[in-house]
Amino acid sequence: METKLKIRHFLRENLLAVLAFLSLVGINILNQLGMGETNIYFWKNFIWNLLGLGLFLAILFKFDYRRVSLELLWLLYGGMLLLLIVLALFKKRWLIIGPLSFQPSEFLKVILVYLLSLFVAKNMEPKLSVREALFLLIVISLPVGFLLPVDLDYAGIIFLMFFMFLLFLGFPRRLFIGLALLGIILSVILLPLAWNKLKPHQKGRIYGYIDPEKYPKTWGYQINQSLIAIGSGGLLGQGLQKGWSTRLNYLPAKNTDLAFAVWAEAFGLIGSTLFLFIYGYLLYWGIEISKKAKDLLGKFLSLGIVIVLLFQFLFNIGGAIGLLPMTSIPQPFLSYGGSITISSYLMLSLLFNVAFRKDFFK
Amino acid sequence: MKVNNFSPIKVSRIKRSWVEGVTLAELWERRLFWLKVLLFVFFGLIWLRVFYLQVVKHPYYANKAKARSIAGYMIKAPRGEILTADGVVVATNRAIFQLYIDLENLSDEESILKKLSLLLPEDYGKLKEHFYLAKRSSFGRILLKRNLTWDQVARIMVRQYYLPGVSVEVEAERFYPYGEAYFHLLGYVAKINREEFEALRGKNYSPEDLIGKKGLERLYESHLKGQNGRIEMERDAKGRLGRVVGRVDPLAGEDLIITVRHDLQMKAYELLKEKRGAIVALSPESGAILALVSMPAVDPNKFIIGFEEGEWEKIAQDPRKPLLNRALQAYPPGSTYKLITALAGLKAGIVKGLHWSVACSGYYPFGNHVFRCWEKRGHGPVSLIKAIAVSCDVYFYTIGSRLDIDLLAEVSRAFGLGRLTGLGFPEEKPGLVPDKAWKKKRYGTNWNQGETVVISIGQGYILTTPLQMARAYMVLANGGFLYKPYIVSEVRKKDGTLVFRNTPQAEGKVEIDPQYLEWLRAGLREAVDVGTGKASRVPGILVWGKTGTAQVVALHRKTRHLEHHAWFVSYAGNSTPQIVSAVLIEHGGGGGAVAAPLAGELYRAFYKLPPQFLPKPVEDGELPTDLPGGLTNGNQAEN
Repeated sequence: METKLKIRHFLRENLLAVLAFLSLVGINILNQLGMGETNIYFWKNFIWNLLGLGLFLAILFKFDYRRVSLELLWLLYGGMLLLLIVLALFKKRWLIIGPLSFQPSEFLKVILVYLLSLFVAKNMEPKLSVREALFLLIVISLPVGFLLPVDLDYAGIIFLMFFMFLLFLGFPRRLFIGLALLGIILSVILLPLAWNKLKPHQKGRIYGYIDPEKYPKTWGYQINQSLIAIGSGGLLGQGLQKGWSTRLNYLPAKNTDLAFAVWAEAFGLIGSTLFLFIYGYLLYWGIEISKKAKDLLGKFLSLGIVIVLLFQFLFNIGGAIGLLPMTSIPQPFLSYGGSITISSYLMLSLLFNVAFRKDFFK
Repeated sequence: MKVNNFSPIKVSRIKRSWVEGVTLAELWERRLFWLKVLLFVFFGLIWLRVFYLQVVKHPYYANKAKARSIAGYMIKAPRGEILTADGVVVATNRAIFQLYIDLENLSDEESILKKLSLLLPEDYGKLKEHFYLAKRSSFGRILLKRNLTWDQVARIMVRQYYLPGVSVEVEAERFYPYGEAYFHLLGYVAKINREEFEALRGKNYSPEDLIGKKGLERLYESHLKGQNGRIEMERDAKGRLGRVVGRVDPLAGEDLIITVRHDLQMKAYELLKEKRGAIVALSPESGAILALVSMPAVDPNKFIIGFEEGEWEKIAQDPRKPLLNRALQAYPPGSTYKLITALAGLKAGIVKGLHWSVACSGYYPFGNHVFRCWEKRGHGPVSLIKAIAVSCDVYFYTIGSRLDIDLLAEVSRAFGLGRLTGLGFPEEKPGLVPDKAWKKKRYGTNWNQGETVVISIGQGYILTTPLQMARAYMVLANGGFLYKPYIVSEVRKKDGTLVFRNTPQAEGKVEIDPQYLEWLRAGLREAVDVGTGKASRVPGILVWGKTGTAQVVALHRKTRHLEHHAWFVSYAGNSTPQIVSAVLIEHGGGGGAVAAPLAGELYRAFYKLPPQFLPKPVEDGELPTDLPGGLTNGNQAEN
């Protein structure tokens, strides 16, 4: 009885967020349906979504985010680190297990968010000491370092998002300024060196970003096709499964990296605005949850999730529309992929869990 | 249920040293506020960019998407057919398979060519060479191979998926069933070149179109062409074509019905085979062209299927000039011109009636020169009719010595000489009718009466085309009407509706005293019955005609007879003349021996009489007149 009442109360308070979440699930399924005649991706994605939804409900109701111990997270973190080392040795981005491929970087984000939140919350201090800050930087940098050789873009973005998270957790101001200065000096010295070390396709992405129309067949191909797809969607879009770019396979990586272009082409400005609005609302609500949470762990955890989701969105869609260089980051609730789907559900379920558990506080 | 909603974490629970009077919740809220600002900025920026792409730049990207995803192809309109008056199709289309390569969709030239060379099968090196040659010269799709067999089509079609950029199309290709026989009349079609394409921009031409380059094909290009259709197909990222999204059906070109009688044309072609010359036959009742053949000619189909190696160079450099339409080139008319001299003489009162005669002793002294008659022994006394019949030069010299050149020119012009006939062919020459003013302008000297003497027998400056001569005799045949010659009688759409019909157009009526006309006609009859044109006689049919042997250039004596142009201009009919013809054999020899028999054969064909074996040319006819030194010949003046 008690629980039922609480659910009703929770719904009354967070109805819009629940609706937004459900709409995102719908959008994800719809967008993969819009990809075209190859149904294999649609069904795989559908199953992943069902699994994710099950996980979401289980975590939301049967789990308490406060119950996870730091020891367990260290264990998970260590396991992830080992996995990344193995992958770095083989220069692979995925671990392939039978028909499934497992992308550790997706789960790394969840573990790191949890780990950082728990670690900082335990101290009960709203500001980090220099020692703690440096320690946490190392905690972030270790997996990022192992990710670096196999997935440069993702490694950089993960570092950026967690550094941002640390700033919000109370990163010491002096240390930040010092590090920033050091970073600037180092980058001025190292950038020309690093540029020469970049692989041709990585350089090409930069070229393509700077002037996509100049290299329409080579470096700028992806971004050009993405811009054409989005631009040709217009106000109302070309309709589900009707877009030229999608249907005639002009869009590369339409299932994953450029899933937003598919959506924007099919449903136009109205569709893209809808997606931006729902996703944005959910992040906004996440910040509200962080404000309302009664314990530090809840506050930190929901903030971390919001930051992760924001960066994910920023680099995927920013890349697709040509604001940022193209990276191979999937967009939660648009892209296909087992790891990204499950980890997105995992993060959202934690967020909702914080919101739900707020009322159980003793 | 009591819900403990806002219980802030007490400040007392945290160290006071780094929080001064502010609760942790407040501190956290301040941080979250900045995150919210960041969220709004990021989402706002991204939304603005999406708005810019999808609304402001939408037309630009939509065009780009369309250009990339839709491949549009012309569907060539079948060209109109050309039919003769008796219903024979002389220019038509046949369906063939063409192998095209679209450079836009071609990803890997080498591998595609290699695959094709295995499929066709054809030598890879040759195919590659052809491809690169065609790539340089063409500016649309490349026609790699024409007229594929069913087998080849099947082999390529089933593998189309693996051959992006390769397409096989059924096309209506021009075909001339009678080849050379109609070459100069119909002309030919060939692939449009860049200049023509630029000039015809906006008129629905595709870079792959064939365009009329000569003859009727060129003259009636706008009717024959039709409207190209267009098909639009989706093209995927790999260049493969899919669904048809738009289609405009082609509109076939209009058919021409020409006045030419096929049997006559073929007969004329047969007669001229192995010779150099032209035959023009007209209807004296309308000016309609019944046959027009010039030889040598080229097979017009070759322009479509392509010449063999070196063949085109051979044709272009052939001294016999097969590309020249001799029916429309200007030549000295020789004795065929004498009729006009005679009429001018009658008008001027020099010839005083039928019995006014001149004693021909084989030569005629005038000034410092002695002009010779072709008959060295002389004709004795000759009157008008005999003079025409035996083509006595001295008789006409006598007229010429007293005739005003301007009057002669005036009569000539009344007969349509010295100007274009209005047939419309661009290669037509106007010929030349000299007069005093012309000489003044051309040479800056005054007219010399001796030149009139030469012109009176059709030598010297005077130049006419076979078509002009046939037309001039048409005036004698029909009693004075100078019709504009025409070839196309009707233009019809494919469904049979008439686009337009040509009606005979008289350019004017030549006023000839009926008595003079009677006398001239009698002279022409005599020439065929007993005179120089005997070889053209046809039993049961009346033929009126005049031979001519035009001296070209006085060359070496041994080969001299080869250098004469043989003329025979005549008309024939039962009671009223129904056909006028001009036969010209370049460097053929005597008109009576070489040209007249051809006219006879032509008339036999016209009246569907059995053909006679052509008698071997005997050197008993008229020989050209030696021109006295110092007088240039027309051809030289022209050159």
